[in-house]
Amino acid sequence: MLKRHGHEAVLAVLVVGALFILSLQSDRFLTLDNLLNQSRLMAEVALVALPMTFVIISGGIDLSVGSTMGLCAILVGVLWQSAGLPLPAAIALSLLAGLACGLFNGLLIIRFGMPPLIATLGTLALYRGLAEGISQARSVRGYPEWFARLGQGDSWGLPSQVWLVLLMLAICGIVLGLTRWGRTIYAIGSSETAARFAGLPVDATKYAIYAATGLASAMAAIVFVSRVSTTRSDMGTGLELDAITAVVLGGTSIFGGRGTILGTALGLILVQTLENGLSLAGVKGDGTVVLIGLVLIVTLLVGALMDRRLRA
Amino acid sequence: MKIATPFGRSLALLAPVATVFAGFAQPAQAEWTGGDGQPTAPLACDGSPAEVAAVAYNGGAVANEGAKAGQPLKVVDVPKLIGIGYFDSTSKGVLKAAAELPDVTAITDGPTQANIDEQITLIDNYNPSGIDGILFSANDPVAIAPVLRKALAAGINVVGYDSDAEPDARQWFVNPSEFNGVAKSLIDELAADIGKDGSFAIVTSTFTTPNQARWIAEMEAYQQACYPEMTWLETVEAQEDNILSFNQATTLINKYGEELDGIVGMTSVATPAAAEAVTQAGLCGETAVIGLATPNAMKPYVASDCVRAAVLWDTTAMGYAAMQALHAAANGTLKAGDTSFAAGALGTLQILNGSQILLGAPTVFTKENITNYDF
Amino acid sequence: MTSQILPARANPPAAAPLRRFFSEYGHECVVALAILVLLVGVGLYNPRFISARNLGSIFSGNAYVAIAAIGMTILIVMRQIDLSVGALIGVLATISGSIAVSGAPIWLAWLAPVLCGMAINAVSGLLVAYAGIPAIVVTLGMMAVLQGGLISVTGGAWISNLPADFLLAKMAVFGLPMPLVWAIVLTIAAGLWLRLTPYGRSFYLIGGNAEAARAVGLPVRRRIVMAFVIHGAFAGLATLMFATQLQVIQSTTPPNLELLVITASVIGGVSILGGTGTVFGSSLAAVLFAAIGSALIFVNVSAYWQRAFIGALILLTVGADMLRRRRAASAGGK
Repeated sequence: MLKRHGHEAVLAVLVVGALFILSLQSDRFLTLDNLLNQSRLMAEVALVALPMTFVIISGGIDLSVGSTMGLCAILVGVLWQSAGLPLPAAIALSLLAGLACGLFNGLLIIRFGMPPLIATLGTLALYRGLAEGISQARSVRGYPEWFARLGQGDSWGLPSQVWLVLLMLAICGIVLGLTRWGRTIYAIGSSETAARFAGLPVDATKYAIYAATGLASAMAAIVFVSRVSTTRSDMGTGLELDAITAVVLGGTSIFGGRGTILGTALGLILVQTLENGLSLAGVKGDGTVVLIGLVLIVTLLVGALMDRRLRA
Repeated sequence: MKIATPFGRSLALLAPVATVFAGFAQPAQAEWTGGDGQPTAPLACDGSPAEVAAVAYNGGAVANEGAKAGQPLKVVDVPKLIGIGYFDSTSKGVLKAAAELPDVTAITDGPTQANIDEQITLIDNYNPSGIDGILFSANDPVAIAPVLRKALAAGINVVGYDSDAEPDARQWFVNPSEFNGVAKSLIDELAADIGKDGSFAIVTSTFTTPNQARWIAEMEAYQQACYPEMTWLETVEAQEDNILSFNQATTLINKYGEELDGIVGMTSVATPAAAEAVTQAGLCGETAVIGLATPNAMKPYVASDCVRAAVLWDTTAMGYAAMQALHAAANGTLKAGDTSFAAGALGTLQILNGSQILLGAPTVFTKENITNYDF
Repeated sequence: MTSQILPARANPPAAAPLRRFFSEYGHECVVALAILVLLVGVGLYNPRFISARNLGSIFSGNAYVAIAAIGMTILIVMRQIDLSVGALIGVLATISGSIAVSGAPIWLAWLAPVLCGMAINAVSGLLVAYAGIPAIVVTLGMMAVLQGGLISVTGGAWISNLPADFLLAKMAVFGLPMPLVWAIVLTIAAGLWLRLTPYGRSFYLIGGNAEAARAVGLPVRRRIVMAFVIHGAFAGLATLMFATQLQVIQSTTPPNLELLVITASVIGGVSILGGTGTVFGSSLAAVLFAAIGSALIFVNVSAYWQRAFIGALILLTVGADMLRRRRAASAGGK
């Protein structure tokens, strides 16, 4: 048990410890209102980090998610306001565009054999540039009331977007843990060559995970636009680093082949807990950033040392 | 083939180069000036004051109004970003007022980049932390509104400065200077340097920064009305990054040569960088630099006579006034319908447009007065 | 292939020296050619583009990127990467500036960023080499620590009133701007060191095939730490050219500087798969970026589309490299 889920266990202890210590610092931390609000704030990163886990387990990485989010946000706004489409149609097209962005990443990585880091570094600049070019730096505002419910309202007792995150969590967890498709992703991450020889559908699987990440970035874009009721081309800047931090903190190996959705979920919760709890305890934003960086390094260090000891 | 193969990859480099050339083919389209395309209200050329229509209070209402009267106040000041001189000085003003007022503690905490999401999350995290007041400078007026409304509903007093949010999302806004007033000052000072028929270029932050886009739009309108002979050459983007600002200004100087009579810096980062570019190009006295800038950053260039004047409001006073306004709002001494506001050491400030406290006309820093300011 | 010291370089035994030069430095030559084409083309459109003054700006404007890219190139050759370099340069600039205004001797203000850069990166290197944490994760964490730490310490204040003799980048050597001289000298020195000394070549060997390098007795882990330390030193040198250019030092880190540095290395011909690439290429790429940035203003390309354009540039370059490798692999039968 400890051998297979050692990292998740460490993380769970960290989360509980952080919750405990931080709740002593401020009595406003462990309240239902605050926790619900935090779940709303973490929705965009969570939506992207969950499929990003697939990408990293497969041995890849996607740095373009933040830019994809910016581009899809701009598309919703421009298609709706400038092109005059009904808002639901604009949303649907924007989701398609996110899918296309992901497929294009896949094309570069699979068809042209580019290293994922470099391919998505390129599309990070490209997609953000398209967002700036298409928007001509104008922001779009004035969305209808009903649209705000997704990002600002509640449904069945929870912030609306949290249902979306839970759905994503369930799908990703089931796919990765219980299906043949999930096992294929692990196999690709362990050894792509071996997976190919074993006759697994390597290329199709990789296209699917990059497409899923692109689609998730578009979903995050729509949730975010609805939450802040405006659209700007600089939306999602730095999202890639937040998502990757959560995934890697969750124990997924950047070399591929290892990682779980549970770990990513715990990683997300830990980061959000620290950000919120520390700020309630009176630590300023820059101090929190330092601490999250340190937690990332130290957690991985402890994980690496534990691995070594267990192996020995 | 062995010889040719190393070139395969490299030939692709020529494609983008070719794309640059493709730019030649386009006829010079209508120059983009950097304005935001919104309606403008240029002031009269001779400086006669514009008609001010009385507007009823349009700010938001705080829950449990008056409950904080006489109580100690814990205030957080959230600027657009931290790490630039401009907001360092507003923060000093906030702290100065907090020290003068009884029982007020204030801290400054902001995003490290002018990023809407980080700013919103930060405020959202502070909302339930037991603070009594929020001072803010918005990265985006609409995006920040929901979290501020939430704060108002929780009984937290909210006052903006520098960059406003939607009026109903805050109680008061300390307006450093009206957009058209800033535009007039900049263009008038520019005209004093380069003449009524000079040519100039602009270095701004980014296209999405609302204040800069607004000023540029007003400048364009005022220039067309009052100095129609001036030539507006180009507007370039340089983030809030001083090296990039320097490089962009240098490129403008190199591109236009003699034709370029003046550079206008739209940010406190771009203006000193443009002054440095002119200094290093050895063009002091030939290419003028005007712009928004903190006096400390401009002192070397004003001292060396390379720059005659820089324009800015007193940013420390702006932070000071915002903190004073928040305290007054919490204690009920500043309330809806007031037309003036006693801002401590600053004296009485005018209230305009329903809920904006006007700091006054922008200050023009020249050799005569720049040493009196330290921010 | 694996027995070669410079694995991915085609190495025809009896070729004429010129041919051999082109086959070894073909990529660098074409980056240089691209710069030349750009200069001539835009120069014909607007002669001011190739005025001595603008050439000076182009060649020295990105010198600090070129210098930082030297260290990054060595790291990427070793299959490592550093996402924290932008934040590091911001921190080092503040350290250097604070010392300069404190009244300490100026040489200390110049030396400190180099030493601090080496020390900070030694930490990253040790974590990568000995704890086995991937470089991308270590440097991601380091970036957060440096960025947040910088603001915590400075509180966001700028450093102004820098003493005039501190401003190294504004000085000139034989009439040439200091940043340009430094970039050239450091590029040539590092390039020759990597090419001609066994120690330098060992980086390529390890990057090309770490197992083989270990088998021939190279201390792989120590070399990884060294690569990080050297990269830290170059970051410090880059800081000197970065921080002494203007009369104020911002306490924010330059946005996206790490992406610019990594991109310069990659466009310059460093393969992210390790083992190949030269610092001549990365320095030329830094010049190419400056030239493109300047050209876009000279030919009035809408600034809105600039970033899309740079993204397309990266993808085209890397895509062509991938096709070339594939062709070379199928033609040469591996």
